[in-house]
Amino acid sequence: MWAVIKKEIKSYFYSPVGYVFIGLFLIMFSIFFYTDVFTYQSTNFEYIFYSGATILTFIVPILTMRTFAEERKTGTEQLLLTSPLSITKVVIAKFIAATLIVIITELCTFLYFAILCFFGTPHITTALVTLLGFLLLAMSYISFGILASSITENQIIAGVITIGFFILTWFLPSFSDIFTNFSLINMFSKFPTGQIDIADTVTFITFTIACLLLTVIFMQRRKSVR
Amino acid sequence: MIEVKNVTKKYGKVKAVDDISFTINDGEIVGLLGPNGAGKSTTMNMLTGFIEQTSGTIIIDNYDMLKKPKKAKREIGYMPEGVPLYTDLTVKEFVKYMAEIKKVDKKERKEKVEKIIEQTGLKDVQKKLIKNLSRGYKQRVSMAGALVGEPKILILDEPTVGLDPKQITEIRNLIKELGKTHTVILSSHILSEVSQICNKVIIINKGKIIAIDTPEHLEDKVSSNNCIYVTVEDTENKMKDIKEKITDIEKIELVQENEDGTKEYMIEAKQDVDLRKTIFSEFAKENITIFEMKKADTTLEDAFMKLIEGGENK
Repeated sequence: MWAVIKKEIKSYFYSPVGYVFIGLFLIMFSIFFYTDVFTYQSTNFEYIFYSGATILTFIVPILTMRTFAEERKTGTEQLLLTSPLSITKVVIAKFIAATLIVIITELCTFLYFAILCFFGTPHITTALVTLLGFLLLAMSYISFGILASSITENQIIAGVITIGFFILTWFLPSFSDIFTNFSLINMFSKFPTGQIDIADTVTFITFTIACLLLTVIFMQRRKSVR
Repeated sequence: MIEVKNVTKKYGKVKAVDDISFTINDGEIVGLLGPNGAGKSTTMNMLTGFIEQTSGTIIIDNYDMLKKPKKAKREIGYMPEGVPLYTDLTVKEFVKYMAEIKKVDKKERKEKVEKIIEQTGLKDVQKKLIKNLSRGYKQRVSMAGALVGEPKILILDEPTVGLDPKQITEIRNLIKELGKTHTVILSSHILSEVSQICNKVIIINKGKIIAIDTPEHLEDKVSSNNCIYVTVEDTENKMKDIKEKITDIEKIELVQENEDGTKEYMIEAKQDVDLRKTIFSEFAKENITIFEMKKADTTLEDAFMKLIEGGENK
Protein backbone atom coordinates (compact mmCIF):
# COMPACT_ATOMS: atom_id res chain seq x y z
CA MET A 1 0.00 0.00 0.00
CA TRP A 2 2.87 2.34 0.84
CA ALA A 3 4.16 1.83 -2.70
CA VAL A 4 0.94 3.14 -4.20
CA ILE A 5 0.89 6.15 -1.87
CA LYS A 6 4.50 6.96 -2.80
CA LYS A 7 3.80 6.60 -6.50
CA GLU A 8 0.64 8.70 -6.34
CA ILE A 9 2.45 11.52 -4.58
CA LYS A 10 5.26 11.27 -7.11
CA SER A 11 2.85 11.57 -10.01
CA TYR A 12 1.17 14.55 -8.35
CA PHE A 13 4.48 16.32 -8.61
CA TYR A 14 5.69 14.83 -11.90
CA SER A 15 2.59 16.21 -13.53
CA PRO A 16 1.60 19.82 -12.83
CA VAL A 17 -1.42 18.68 -10.79
CA GLY A 18 0.24 18.93 -7.38
CA TYR A 19 1.77 22.32 -8.09
CA VAL A 20 -1.41 23.68 -9.62
CA PHE A 21 -3.41 22.60 -6.58
CA ILE A 22 -1.03 24.00 -3.98
CA GLY A 23 -0.23 27.09 -6.05
CA LEU A 24 -3.84 27.93 -6.79
CA PHE A 25 -4.83 27.48 -3.19
CA LEU A 26 -2.01 29.66 -1.88
CA ILE A 27 -2.61 32.45 -4.41
CA MET A 28 -6.31 32.62 -3.55
CA PHE A 29 -5.52 32.24 0.14
CA SER A 30 -3.05 35.14 -0.07
CA ILE A 31 -5.65 37.39 -1.65
CA PHE A 32 -8.16 36.59 1.07
CA PHE A 33 -5.44 36.96 3.68
CA TYR A 34 -4.64 40.41 2.35
CA THR A 35 -8.24 41.60 2.24
CA ASP A 36 -9.22 40.10 5.60
CA VAL A 37 -6.19 41.23 7.53
CA PHE A 38 -5.68 44.66 6.03
CA THR A 39 -9.28 45.70 5.47
CA TYR A 40 -10.47 44.64 8.89
CA GLN A 41 -7.18 45.25 10.71
CA SER A 42 -7.57 41.86 12.42
CA THR A 43 -5.05 39.19 13.32
CA ASN A 44 -7.64 36.42 13.15
CA PHE A 45 -5.85 33.66 11.27
CA GLU A 46 -8.83 31.30 11.54
CA TYR A 47 -11.31 33.50 9.75
CA ILE A 48 -9.40 33.35 6.50
CA PHE A 49 -10.22 29.65 6.44
CA TYR A 50 -13.89 30.43 5.80
CA SER A 51 -12.67 31.69 2.45
CA GLY A 52 -10.18 28.82 2.36
CA ALA A 53 -13.04 26.32 2.52
CA THR A 54 -14.65 28.03 -0.45
CA ILE A 55 -11.44 27.74 -2.45
CA LEU A 56 -11.19 24.08 -1.48
CA THR A 57 -14.66 23.44 -2.86
CA PHE A 58 -13.49 24.44 -6.30
CA ILE A 59 -10.00 22.97 -6.41
CA VAL A 60 -10.34 19.53 -4.80
CA PRO A 61 -11.48 18.03 -8.12
CA ILE A 62 -8.07 18.94 -9.58
CA LEU A 63 -6.63 16.49 -7.12
CA THR A 64 -9.18 13.72 -7.33
CA MET A 65 -10.62 13.66 -10.83
CA ARG A 66 -7.73 11.69 -12.27
CA THR A 67 -7.31 9.11 -9.50
CA PHE A 68 -9.28 6.26 -11.03
CA ALA A 69 -10.60 7.78 -14.24
CA GLU A 70 -7.13 8.09 -15.72
CA GLU A 71 -6.09 4.59 -14.74
CA ARG A 72 -9.23 3.29 -16.33
CA LYS A 73 -8.72 5.25 -19.52
CA THR A 74 -5.07 4.35 -20.03
CA GLY A 75 -5.61 0.77 -18.91
CA THR A 76 -3.08 0.93 -16.10
CA GLU A 77 -5.81 -0.20 -13.74
CA GLN A 78 -5.18 -3.63 -15.25
CA LEU A 79 -1.70 -3.56 -13.73
CA LEU A 80 -3.01 -2.39 -10.40
CA LEU A 81 -5.97 -4.74 -10.15
CA THR A 82 -4.12 -7.84 -11.31
CA SER A 83 -1.45 -7.30 -8.66
CA PRO A 84 -1.89 -9.02 -5.31
CA LEU A 85 -3.04 -5.70 -3.79
CA SER A 86 -6.67 -5.63 -2.72
CA ILE A 87 -9.00 -2.98 -4.10
CA THR A 88 -9.58 -1.62 -0.60
CA LYS A 89 -5.88 -0.97 -0.18
CA VAL A 90 -5.64 0.75 -3.55
CA VAL A 91 -8.57 3.03 -2.72
CA ILE A 92 -7.18 3.89 0.71
CA ALA A 93 -3.72 4.53 -0.73
CA LYS A 94 -5.07 6.97 -3.30
CA PHE A 95 -7.11 8.69 -0.61
CA ILE A 96 -4.10 9.04 1.68
CA ALA A 97 -1.95 10.42 -1.14
CA ALA A 98 -4.46 13.15 -1.97
CA THR A 99 -4.93 13.93 1.72
CA LEU A 100 -1.17 14.31 2.10
CA ILE A 101 -1.17 16.97 -0.60
CA VAL A 102 -3.78 18.89 1.40
CA ILE A 103 -1.67 18.49 4.54
CA ILE A 104 1.33 19.90 2.67
CA THR A 105 -0.84 22.85 1.67
CA GLU A 106 -1.95 23.35 5.27
CA LEU A 107 1.65 23.35 6.41
CA CYS A 108 2.31 26.14 3.91
CA THR A 109 -0.38 28.27 5.54
CA PHE A 110 1.70 28.38 8.72
CA LEU A 111 3.69 31.00 6.89
CA TYR A 112 0.69 33.33 7.15
CA PHE A 113 0.37 32.48 10.81
CA ALA A 114 4.02 33.48 11.27
CA ILE A 115 3.39 36.81 9.53
CA LEU A 116 0.49 37.52 11.86
CA CYS A 117 2.72 36.82 14.87
CA PHE A 118 4.67 39.95 13.98
CA PHE A 119 1.64 42.15 14.29
CA GLY A 120 -0.29 40.63 17.10
CA THR A 121 -0.87 37.47 19.10
CA PRO A 122 -2.98 35.05 17.08
CA HIS A 123 -4.38 32.13 19.03
CA ILE A 124 -2.45 28.96 18.27
CA THR A 125 -5.02 26.44 19.58
CA THR A 126 -7.85 28.00 17.62
CA ALA A 127 -5.64 27.93 14.55
CA LEU A 128 -4.90 24.23 15.04
CA VAL A 129 -8.57 23.40 15.57
CA THR A 130 -9.35 25.29 12.37
CA LEU A 131 -6.70 23.34 10.49
CA LEU A 132 -8.15 20.09 11.86
CA GLY A 133 -11.61 21.09 10.69
CA PHE A 134 -10.20 22.10 7.36
CA LEU A 135 -8.50 18.73 7.02
CA LEU A 136 -11.72 16.90 7.88
CA LEU A 137 -13.57 18.91 5.25
CA ALA A 138 -10.83 18.21 2.72
CA MET A 139 -10.99 14.48 3.52
CA SER A 140 -14.73 14.42 2.90
CA TYR A 141 -14.29 16.30 -0.34
CA ILE A 142 -11.45 14.05 -1.50
CA SER A 143 -13.35 10.85 -0.71
CA PHE A 144 -16.29 12.07 -2.76
CA GLY A 145 -13.96 13.14 -5.56
CA ILE A 146 -12.42 9.67 -5.64
CA LEU A 147 -15.87 8.10 -5.72
CA ALA A 148 -16.80 10.29 -8.70
CA SER A 149 -13.54 9.36 -10.41
CA SER A 150 -14.20 5.66 -9.97
CA ILE A 151 -17.50 5.71 -11.83
CA THR A 152 -16.27 7.21 -15.08
CA GLU A 153 -13.25 7.01 -17.33
CA ASN A 154 -13.55 10.66 -18.24
CA GLN A 155 -11.66 12.97 -15.89
CA ILE A 156 -13.70 16.01 -16.88
CA ILE A 157 -16.97 14.28 -16.05
CA ALA A 158 -15.52 13.15 -12.73
CA GLY A 159 -14.47 16.74 -12.01
CA VAL A 160 -17.82 18.21 -12.96
CA ILE A 161 -19.73 15.68 -10.86
CA THR A 162 -17.49 16.51 -7.91
CA ILE A 163 -17.85 20.30 -8.15
CA GLY A 164 -21.57 19.98 -8.88
CA PHE A 165 -22.10 17.92 -5.76
CA PHE A 166 -20.10 20.31 -3.57
CA ILE A 167 -21.97 23.36 -4.81
CA LEU A 168 -25.26 21.54 -4.35
CA THR A 169 -24.53 20.72 -0.71
CA TRP A 170 -23.30 24.27 -0.22
CA PHE A 171 -26.47 25.96 -1.41
CA LEU A 172 -29.04 23.40 -0.29
CA PRO A 173 -29.54 25.08 3.13
CA SER A 174 -30.71 28.24 1.40
CA PHE A 175 -33.64 26.32 -0.02
CA SER A 176 -34.74 24.75 3.21
CA ASP A 177 -33.40 24.50 6.75
CA ILE A 178 -33.82 20.74 6.61
CA PHE A 179 -30.65 20.57 4.56
CA THR A 180 -28.49 22.49 7.04
CA ASN A 181 -27.02 19.28 8.37
CA PHE A 182 -26.18 18.04 4.89
CA SER A 183 -23.97 20.93 4.00
CA LEU A 184 -20.33 19.95 4.35
CA ILE A 185 -19.10 23.52 4.21
CA ASN A 186 -21.58 24.57 6.93
CA MET A 187 -20.32 21.82 9.17
CA PHE A 188 -16.87 23.30 8.92
CA SER A 189 -18.04 26.73 10.07
CA LYS A 190 -17.83 25.98 13.80
CA PHE A 191 -14.17 24.97 13.74
CA PRO A 192 -12.73 28.50 13.23
CA THR A 193 -14.43 29.56 16.44
CA GLY A 194 -12.11 27.20 18.24
CA GLN A 195 -14.52 24.46 19.18
CA ILE A 196 -14.40 20.89 17.97
CA ASP A 197 -17.97 19.87 17.37
CA ILE A 198 -18.24 16.14 17.95
CA ALA A 199 -21.34 15.73 15.80
CA ASP A 200 -19.71 17.51 12.86
CA THR A 201 -16.45 15.62 13.28
CA VAL A 202 -18.28 12.30 13.31
CA THR A 203 -20.32 13.31 10.26
CA PHE A 204 -17.19 14.26 8.32
CA ILE A 205 -15.50 10.97 9.17
CA THR A 206 -18.62 8.93 8.44
CA PHE A 207 -19.09 10.67 5.12
CA THR A 208 -15.45 9.99 4.21
CA ILE A 209 -15.65 6.31 5.11
CA ALA A 210 -18.99 5.93 3.32
CA CYS A 211 -17.60 7.41 0.09
CA LEU A 212 -14.48 5.25 0.21
CA LEU A 213 -16.57 2.18 0.92
CA LEU A 214 -18.83 2.97 -2.03
CA THR A 215 -15.74 3.36 -4.22
CA VAL A 216 -14.51 -0.07 -3.17
CA ILE A 217 -17.94 -1.56 -3.85
CA PHE A 218 -18.15 0.08 -7.28
CA MET A 219 -14.68 -1.13 -8.22
CA GLN A 220 -15.49 -4.63 -7.00
CA ARG A 221 -18.77 -4.67 -8.86
CA ARG A 222 -17.16 -3.53 -12.08
CA LYS A 223 -15.11 -6.72 -12.04
CA SER A 224 -18.20 -8.72 -12.84
CA VAL A 225 -19.82 -6.31 -15.30
CA ARG A 226 -16.70 -5.09 -17.06
CA MET B 1 -0.84 -25.44 -13.77
CA ILE B 2 -3.90 -23.60 -14.98
CA GLU B 3 -7.29 -25.24 -14.96
CA VAL B 4 -10.23 -23.56 -16.61
CA LYS B 5 -13.52 -25.33 -16.07
CA ASN B 6 -16.75 -24.44 -17.86
CA VAL B 7 -16.06 -20.73 -17.74
CA THR B 8 -18.68 -18.40 -19.17
CA LYS B 9 -18.62 -14.62 -19.27
CA LYS B 10 -21.78 -12.78 -20.12
CA TYR B 11 -22.21 -9.10 -20.86
CA GLY B 12 -25.93 -8.63 -20.54
CA LYS B 13 -27.27 -11.31 -22.83
CA VAL B 14 -24.18 -11.55 -24.98
CA LYS B 15 -21.83 -14.38 -24.18
CA ALA B 16 -18.29 -13.10 -24.71
CA VAL B 17 -16.88 -16.42 -23.59
CA ASP B 18 -19.09 -19.45 -23.76
CA ASP B 19 -18.43 -22.46 -21.58
CA ILE B 20 -14.72 -22.96 -22.20
CA SER B 21 -12.57 -25.54 -20.46
CA PHE B 22 -8.89 -26.27 -20.85
CA THR B 23 -5.83 -27.20 -18.86
CA ILE B 24 -2.37 -25.77 -19.26
CA ASN B 25 0.51 -27.69 -17.76
CA ASP B 26 3.68 -26.24 -16.31
CA GLY B 27 6.29 -25.26 -18.85
CA GLU B 28 3.97 -25.11 -21.83
CA ILE B 29 3.91 -22.19 -24.24
CA VAL B 30 0.33 -21.84 -25.28
CA GLY B 31 -1.06 -19.66 -28.03
CA LEU B 32 -4.57 -18.34 -27.76
CA LEU B 33 -5.63 -17.80 -31.32
CA GLY B 34 -8.68 -16.23 -32.80
CA PRO B 35 -10.00 -13.39 -34.91
CA ASN B 36 -10.66 -10.01 -33.33
CA GLY B 37 -13.49 -10.10 -30.85
CA ALA B 38 -13.26 -13.86 -30.38
CA GLY B 39 -12.91 -13.60 -26.63
CA LYS B 40 -9.14 -13.85 -26.27
CA SER B 41 -8.70 -10.78 -24.13
CA THR B 42 -11.77 -11.58 -22.07
CA THR B 43 -10.34 -15.02 -21.37
CA MET B 44 -7.01 -13.53 -20.38
CA ASN B 45 -8.62 -10.90 -18.20
CA MET B 46 -10.43 -13.66 -16.36
CA LEU B 47 -7.25 -15.71 -15.96
CA THR B 48 -5.52 -12.73 -14.39
CA GLY B 49 -8.43 -11.90 -12.10
CA PHE B 50 -9.04 -8.50 -13.67
CA ILE B 51 -12.62 -9.45 -14.36
CA GLU B 52 -14.81 -12.12 -12.84
CA GLN B 53 -16.43 -14.89 -14.82
CA THR B 54 -20.20 -15.23 -14.76
CA SER B 55 -19.90 -18.94 -14.04
CA GLY B 56 -17.27 -21.67 -13.91
CA THR B 57 -13.96 -21.91 -12.09
CA ILE B 58 -10.42 -20.83 -12.80
CA ILE B 59 -7.71 -22.51 -10.78
CA ILE B 60 -4.16 -21.19 -10.88
CA ASP B 61 -1.67 -23.51 -9.21
CA ASN B 62 -4.33 -24.94 -6.89
CA TYR B 63 -5.64 -21.49 -5.92
CA ASP B 64 -9.14 -20.60 -7.03
CA MET B 65 -9.02 -17.13 -8.59
CA LEU B 66 -12.26 -16.05 -6.97
CA LYS B 67 -11.63 -17.51 -3.53
CA LYS B 68 -7.90 -16.92 -3.10
CA PRO B 69 -7.21 -14.01 -5.48
CA LYS B 70 -4.09 -12.75 -3.67
CA LYS B 71 -2.27 -16.06 -3.86
CA ALA B 72 -3.44 -16.81 -7.39
CA LYS B 73 -2.41 -13.38 -8.64
CA ARG B 74 1.09 -13.75 -7.23
CA GLU B 75 1.67 -16.64 -9.62
CA ILE B 76 0.85 -14.53 -12.65
CA GLY B 77 2.72 -11.90 -14.61
CA TYR B 78 0.38 -10.06 -16.92
CA MET B 79 1.14 -7.92 -19.93
CA PRO B 80 -2.19 -6.38 -20.90
CA GLU B 81 -3.28 -5.53 -24.42
CA GLY B 82 -2.03 -2.19 -25.70
CA VAL B 83 0.75 -2.08 -23.08
CA PRO B 84 -0.70 0.32 -20.51
CA LEU B 85 2.08 1.99 -18.54
CA TYR B 86 2.53 4.83 -16.10
CA THR B 87 4.09 7.09 -18.67
CA ASP B 88 5.23 9.79 -16.26
CA LEU B 89 7.57 7.40 -14.47
CA THR B 90 11.02 6.39 -15.64
CA VAL B 91 11.63 2.81 -16.71
CA LYS B 92 13.41 1.98 -13.49
CA GLU B 93 10.80 3.65 -11.32
CA PHE B 94 8.08 1.71 -13.10
CA VAL B 95 9.76 -1.65 -12.68
CA LYS B 96 10.47 -0.81 -9.05
CA TYR B 97 6.85 0.18 -8.52
CA MET B 98 5.66 -3.07 -10.04
CA ALA B 99 8.04 -4.94 -7.73
CA GLU B 100 6.59 -3.08 -4.77
CA ILE B 101 2.95 -3.71 -5.56
CA LYS B 102 3.77 -7.33 -6.27
CA LYS B 103 5.31 -7.51 -2.83
CA VAL B 104 8.83 -8.48 -3.77
CA ASP B 105 10.90 -8.76 -0.62
CA LYS B 106 12.48 -5.41 0.23
CA LYS B 107 15.99 -6.82 0.64
CA GLU B 108 16.00 -8.47 -2.77
CA ARG B 109 14.03 -5.80 -4.58
CA LYS B 110 16.86 -3.64 -5.89
CA GLU B 111 18.83 -6.60 -7.15
CA LYS B 112 15.84 -8.24 -8.83
CA VAL B 113 14.73 -5.03 -10.51
CA GLU B 114 18.19 -4.63 -11.98
CA LYS B 115 18.25 -8.23 -13.14
CA ILE B 116 14.94 -7.86 -14.96
CA ILE B 117 15.98 -4.57 -16.57
CA GLU B 118 19.06 -6.35 -17.86
CA GLN B 119 17.10 -9.40 -19.02
CA THR B 120 14.63 -7.34 -21.03
CA GLY B 121 17.37 -5.20 -22.58
CA LEU B 122 16.31 -1.95 -20.96
CA LYS B 123 19.57 -1.04 -19.30
CA ASP B 124 20.36 1.82 -21.70
CA VAL B 125 17.00 3.51 -21.25
CA GLN B 126 16.32 2.81 -17.58
CA LYS B 127 16.54 6.48 -16.62
CA LYS B 128 14.28 7.71 -19.43
CA LEU B 129 10.66 8.63 -18.95
CA ILE B 130 8.42 5.93 -20.37
CA LYS B 131 6.44 8.45 -22.42
CA ASN B 132 9.56 9.25 -24.43
CA LEU B 133 10.24 5.65 -25.41
CA SER B 134 9.47 4.01 -28.74
CA ARG B 135 6.75 1.41 -29.04
CA GLY B 136 9.23 -1.45 -29.04
CA TYR B 137 10.80 -0.33 -25.80
CA LYS B 138 7.40 0.25 -24.21
CA GLN B 139 6.59 -3.35 -25.03
CA ARG B 140 9.74 -4.41 -23.23
CA VAL B 141 8.93 -2.25 -20.23
CA SER B 142 5.51 -3.86 -20.07
CA MET B 143 7.18 -7.26 -20.30
CA ALA B 144 9.55 -6.28 -17.49
CA GLY B 145 6.53 -5.31 -15.41
CA ALA B 146 5.04 -8.72 -16.01
CA LEU B 147 8.28 -10.53 -15.16
CA VAL B 148 8.79 -8.81 -11.84
CA GLY B 149 7.97 -10.84 -8.76
CA GLU B 150 9.05 -14.11 -10.34
CA PRO B 151 5.65 -15.32 -11.46
CA LYS B 152 5.42 -18.93 -12.66
CA ILE B 153 2.93 -18.01 -15.34
CA LEU B 154 3.25 -15.25 -17.91
CA ILE B 155 0.13 -14.05 -19.67
CA LEU B 156 0.90 -11.86 -22.67
CA ASP B 157 -1.95 -10.25 -24.55
CA GLU B 158 -0.90 -9.62 -28.15
CA PRO B 159 2.76 -9.11 -27.32
CA THR B 160 3.94 -8.22 -30.81
CA VAL B 161 1.21 -5.92 -32.06
CA GLY B 162 2.48 -2.64 -33.44
CA LEU B 163 6.14 -3.60 -33.67
CA ASP B 164 8.44 -3.54 -36.66
CA PRO B 165 9.76 -6.87 -37.99
CA LYS B 166 13.07 -6.59 -36.16
CA GLN B 167 11.40 -5.85 -32.87
CA ILE B 168 8.94 -8.70 -33.44
CA THR B 169 11.83 -11.15 -33.83
CA GLU B 170 13.44 -9.76 -30.69
CA ILE B 171 10.28 -10.06 -28.61
CA ARG B 172 9.65 -13.57 -29.98
CA ASN B 173 13.12 -14.65 -28.99
CA LEU B 174 12.60 -13.15 -25.57
CA ILE B 175 9.34 -15.09 -25.20
CA LYS B 176 11.02 -18.31 -26.30
CA GLU B 177 13.77 -17.69 -23.78
CA LEU B 178 11.23 -17.03 -21.04
CA GLY B 179 9.32 -20.15 -22.05
CA LYS B 180 12.19 -22.25 -20.74
CA THR B 181 11.54 -21.12 -17.20
CA HIS B 182 7.88 -20.05 -17.27
CA THR B 183 4.50 -21.24 -18.39
CA VAL B 184 3.54 -18.78 -21.10
CA ILE B 185 0.12 -18.00 -22.51
CA LEU B 186 0.05 -15.53 -25.35
CA SER B 187 -2.73 -14.35 -27.55
CA SER B 188 -2.40 -13.45 -31.17
CA HIS B 189 -4.25 -13.32 -34.40
CA ILE B 190 -1.06 -13.94 -36.33
CA LEU B 191 -0.72 -17.64 -36.98
CA SER B 192 2.87 -17.84 -38.06
CA GLU B 193 3.81 -16.30 -34.76
CA VAL B 194 1.93 -18.90 -32.78
CA SER B 195 3.32 -21.80 -34.81
CA GLN B 196 6.84 -20.51 -34.29
CA ILE B 197 6.69 -19.94 -30.57
CA CYS B 198 4.03 -22.17 -29.12
CA ASN B 199 3.84 -25.88 -28.51
CA LYS B 200 0.10 -25.83 -28.00
CA VAL B 201 -2.60 -23.82 -29.70
CA ILE B 202 -6.08 -23.04 -28.47
CA ILE B 203 -8.25 -21.74 -31.29
CA ILE B 204 -11.16 -19.70 -30.12
CA ASN B 205 -13.94 -18.07 -32.08
CA LYS B 206 -17.11 -16.32 -30.94
CA GLY B 207 -16.35 -17.24 -27.35
CA LYS B 208 -16.03 -20.96 -28.01
CA ILE B 209 -13.01 -23.21 -28.20
CA ILE B 210 -12.81 -24.76 -31.66
CA ALA B 211 -9.61 -26.72 -31.26
CA ILE B 212 -6.83 -27.45 -28.79
CA ASP B 213 -3.80 -29.10 -30.32
CA THR B 214 -0.17 -28.75 -31.31
CA PRO B 215 0.47 -26.52 -34.33
CA GLU B 216 1.71 -29.53 -36.34
CA HIS B 217 -1.38 -31.61 -35.63
CA LEU B 218 -3.64 -28.79 -36.61
CA GLU B 219 -1.90 -28.53 -39.95
CA ASP B 220 -2.17 -32.28 -40.52
CA LYS B 221 -5.81 -32.33 -39.58
CA VAL B 222 -6.87 -30.17 -42.47
CA SER B 223 -4.28 -31.19 -45.03
CA SER B 224 -5.72 -34.74 -45.22
CA ASN B 225 -8.06 -33.86 -48.07
CA ASN B 226 -5.41 -33.38 -50.71
CA CYS B 227 -5.69 -30.86 -53.42
CA ILE B 228 -3.65 -30.69 -56.59
CA TYR B 229 -3.28 -27.71 -58.84
CA VAL B 230 -2.56 -28.45 -62.50
CA THR B 231 -1.94 -26.06 -65.35
CA VAL B 232 -2.74 -27.74 -68.67
CA GLU B 233 -3.01 -27.07 -72.36
CA ASP B 234 -6.25 -28.71 -73.40
CA THR B 235 -6.75 -28.07 -77.11
CA GLU B 236 -9.28 -30.84 -77.60
CA ASN B 237 -11.29 -29.77 -74.59
CA LYS B 238 -11.16 -33.12 -72.88
CA MET B 239 -10.89 -31.85 -69.33
CA LYS B 240 -14.66 -31.94 -68.86
CA ASP B 241 -14.68 -35.71 -69.26
CA ILE B 242 -11.67 -36.37 -67.10
CA LYS B 243 -13.69 -36.85 -63.95
CA GLU B 244 -15.30 -39.97 -65.38
CA LYS B 245 -11.94 -41.34 -66.46
CA ILE B 246 -10.29 -41.02 -63.05
CA THR B 247 -12.75 -42.29 -60.51
CA ASP B 248 -10.80 -41.09 -57.49
CA ILE B 249 -11.46 -37.46 -58.30
CA GLU B 250 -13.86 -35.88 -55.87
CA LYS B 251 -14.10 -32.49 -57.45
CA ILE B 252 -12.57 -30.63 -60.36
CA GLU B 253 -12.71 -26.91 -60.72
CA LEU B 254 -11.39 -24.34 -63.16
CA VAL B 255 -9.30 -21.84 -61.28
CA GLN B 256 -8.24 -19.50 -64.07
CA GLU B 257 -7.56 -19.25 -67.79
CA ASN B 258 -4.14 -17.92 -68.60
CA GLU B 259 -3.35 -15.60 -71.49
CA ASP B 260 -1.27 -18.21 -73.30
CA GLY B 261 -4.29 -20.52 -73.60
CA THR B 262 -3.43 -22.77 -70.67
CA LYS B 263 -5.93 -23.40 -67.93
CA GLU B 264 -5.37 -23.95 -64.25
CA TYR B 265 -7.54 -26.52 -62.52
CA MET B 266 -7.92 -27.53 -58.92
CA ILE B 267 -8.41 -31.25 -58.48
CA GLU B 268 -9.56 -32.58 -55.15
CA ALA B 269 -9.04 -36.28 -54.60
CA LYS B 270 -11.03 -38.64 -52.48
CA GLN B 271 -9.52 -39.23 -49.08
CA ASP B 272 -5.85 -40.09 -48.78
CA VAL B 273 -5.24 -40.89 -52.42
CA ASP B 274 -2.26 -39.39 -54.14
CA LEU B 275 -3.47 -38.69 -57.63
CA ARG B 276 -0.34 -37.25 -59.17
CA LYS B 277 0.79 -40.42 -60.90
CA THR B 278 -2.66 -41.20 -62.30
CA ILE B 279 -3.13 -37.67 -63.48
CA PHE B 280 0.19 -37.75 -65.28
CA SER B 281 -0.53 -40.98 -67.18
CA GLU B 282 -4.23 -40.34 -67.84
CA PHE B 283 -3.66 -36.81 -69.07
CA ALA B 284 -0.97 -38.09 -71.42
CA LYS B 285 -3.40 -40.64 -72.85
CA GLU B 286 -6.00 -37.95 -73.40
CA ASN B 287 -3.46 -35.72 -75.10
CA ILE B 288 -3.65 -33.05 -72.41
CA THR B 289 -0.29 -31.41 -71.88
CA ILE B 290 0.65 -30.73 -68.30
CA PHE B 291 2.57 -27.50 -67.87
CA GLU B 292 2.63 -27.46 -64.13
CA MET B 293 1.42 -29.66 -61.32
CA LYS B 294 1.66 -28.92 -57.62
CA LYS B 295 0.27 -30.23 -54.41
CA ALA B 296 -1.46 -27.53 -52.40
CA ASP B 297 0.27 -26.75 -49.12
CA THR B 298 -1.95 -26.37 -46.16
CA THR B 299 -0.64 -23.99 -43.61
CA LEU B 300 -1.80 -23.18 -40.16
CA GLU B 301 -3.49 -20.26 -41.84
CA ASP B 302 -5.73 -22.66 -43.78
CA ALA B 303 -6.30 -24.76 -40.70
CA PHE B 304 -7.35 -21.66 -38.86
CA MET B 305 -9.69 -20.42 -41.57
CA LYS B 306 -11.15 -23.86 -42.08
CA LEU B 307 -11.77 -24.40 -38.40
CA ILE B 308 -13.33 -21.02 -37.99
CA GLU B 309 -15.56 -21.40 -41.02
CA GLY B 310 -16.46 -24.92 -39.93
CA GLY B 311 -17.29 -23.66 -36.48
CA GLU B 312 -19.51 -20.96 -37.88
CA ASN B 313 -21.42 -23.33 -40.12
CA LYS B 314 -22.26 -25.67 -37.29
